[in-house]
Amino acid sequence: MENRYHSPNQETPKGLTVFIDQQIRADFDQLDCANLNLTNPIASKLILLKKDGRLSVKFPNGEFCDFPYYFKNVEKILDGIRSHSQGFSHSDAFEGFIRTTQTIEKKLYSGVSLRPGENVKDLWDEIIKKVNLISSESQSLRSLMERLLEVPFLQKFESSIIVLHLKGQTKAELLGILWRSEKIQALVQIKEFNSFFNSIKKSKIKSFSNDTFPKMDLPFNGTFLAKEVTSRRYSMVAMVSRHDFLSYSVDEIKLFETCIDLLQPHFERLIDQEFSDQRISELRVCLKNFPLPLKVRDSVSGTSFLNDLCSSELQDKDSFFNKNIQNSFTLDLYDSDELRHYAFDLFHFQRISLLGELLNTLRHELSNPLFGLKLGSQLFTMMDVQEDSKELMKEIGKNIGRCQTIIENFSNLYQVQNEPKPISIKKIIDESIILSKSESRETKKIVEYFDDTESLELNVSLIFVVQILFNLIVNASQAMRNSAYSRDLKVIITSKNDQVCIDVIDSGPDIPSDTQSQLFKPFFTTKSQGTGLGLVLSRNLAIKMGGNLEYLVNNKAKGAHFRLTLPRR
Amino acid sequence: MIKLLIIEDELLIQQSLKKLFELKGFKVDTSASGKVAIDLILNNDYDRIISDLMLNDISGFDVIEESKKRFTSEEISKKFVIMTAYNSPQVLLRANAYQCKLIHKPWDDLEAAMKTMTE
Repeated sequence: MENRYHSPNQETPKGLTVFIDQQIRADFDQLDCANLNLTNPIASKLILLKKDGRLSVKFPNGEFCDFPYYFKNVEKILDGIRSHSQGFSHSDAFEGFIRTTQTIEKKLYSGVSLRPGENVKDLWDEIIKKVNLISSESQSLRSLMERLLEVPFLQKFESSIIVLHLKGQTKAELLGILWRSEKIQALVQIKEFNSFFNSIKKSKIKSFSNDTFPKMDLPFNGTFLAKEVTSRRYSMVAMVSRHDFLSYSVDEIKLFETCIDLLQPHFERLIDQEFSDQRISELRVCLKNFPLPLKVRDSVSGTSFLNDLCSSELQDKDSFFNKNIQNSFTLDLYDSDELRHYAFDLFHFQRISLLGELLNTLRHELSNPLFGLKLGSQLFTMMDVQEDSKELMKEIGKNIGRCQTIIENFSNLYQVQNEPKPISIKKIIDESIILSKSESRETKKIVEYFDDTESLELNVSLIFVVQILFNLIVNASQAMRNSAYSRDLKVIITSKNDQVCIDVIDSGPDIPSDTQSQLFKPFFTTKSQGTGLGLVLSRNLAIKMGGNLEYLVNNKAKGAHFRLTLPRR
Repeated sequence: MIKLLIIEDELLIQQSLKKLFELKGFKVDTSASGKVAIDLILNNDYDRIISDLMLNDISGFDVIEESKKRFTSEEISKKFVIMTAYNSPQVLLRANAYQCKLIHKPWDDLEAAMKTMTE
């Protein structure tokens, strides 16, 4: 018997003819519908209809797929139809396909329950519109979080918060808005943040209760929704809460997740911007305190300016920062005649900071043995020993004390001081003399205070002033070392108006007048082992503190006379 | 006689303190190791336990923590004195939590330090 199905007279399977409701036609303009016969309702085998905000698929033998309308539903159905179009002549197979699609679709969208007459597509449109609006209008992360609550379905929520961790930072930052009005900002330990972030990431439901994370100290009462966002440079958790104990509906969770997904590029942009703000403020601080003249050049526009040390050539810095630094910039040592000497300056600073580290280690290592020695010597003075042994022990104790003081002073000197603190002049002078003791052993030192300066306190950097005075004292002592004159070093402190003058006067040989004019020039030295930088550096430091260092020409007296002036306030 | 235990890994300091306290009439035991000290504390009756903070094996606070097996927190606050060269806020905070005395090393006034330790 001839197989009817293989007979050449058999009707060949036709392509599916689909009728698409006018109401949803507009959505398909961007779709490729070439394989589909879009025709009139009567001739079609499949009718896509929009009824009361729900999508219906109507077959000649019945209706399927009644679920909330959103154009992606239809798009997916049509995609499926296109890939299976050969098979669809058989209505059973097609029904089966539609059922599968229906299950998928229902999973995706059925959770979004609507009030009668409400249209998911409209809601989505509204959400997307709003998200785009608030993200384009927000200039900071905080304002974006505030305005997030304007999104239609989030209008019942009271608070929105993010916890942001920039990679490489030791703390995460929590910021956002509580009860639609109260701004909140806090720091979170990285350990807490990591475990919090991972819990959020692993959770499938994304709905949490506050007591799940006792260590995070979240400011919500009751339940909240959370979604994690990651990127190359940060990880972040966004949260919203109604401050009640009701659980969230599947719709809300889905919508929230999608909303945060939509916002991700905007988070990225704002975080980037805040990164660059932070970078600019760091750059400002760096430039302000950097001890060398620097040239900052914008890589794009080529404009540039110099930092404070070259203030005479200062340009309009603020506008430069605002406009240009956003992109990228390069830092160069300012190229001038003096560049060479500043390069040496840099090495000098490196050496100093290395010395500081070294001294700190030394102090820690020596402190215990010295303390033990001191206790031991004290023990012997208390024990029943001969009187002269006791004296000896006391002397040992004193010397140990001296070692402790010296090491303490040295390491204090090199400690980094962020802000100048008021320091008494007496302390500065005493410390400088102690530190220069080994170089100035043979020199008689006379310190004289006038105008009540002995009790005066200055708001200057101890390290800087001591460094300058150390230099002057050592210079003077070296100059007098081979001198036939008496070796007297006078340090005279006076006060004039709003300035304090510290004069360092020695009784060494005179400085010839042609040498005098070169004293503050880099690399000028009369010593065989000198660098010619001591005085230059000292003057730079003095100027940095708002003072000055100068050489006073004195025709009557012998020796050199340097004057360091410092501001009183 | 008042019994002291001195836990200090710097032997010169340990021995000097021992002798100094013995001169004042105290009975003094010593230990350079925190772990050995814990055994001593659990098996002897000391009136005061003076411990360095940074020991070679464990910290002075660990010794206190182990001593909780035997003493109430009130007894701990009375018995323990911690010596330290590091006055960081964390150390202060912890010493405060135990309510025990904290003495900064090196001290200037020996008499005063010894008085604080044995009061």
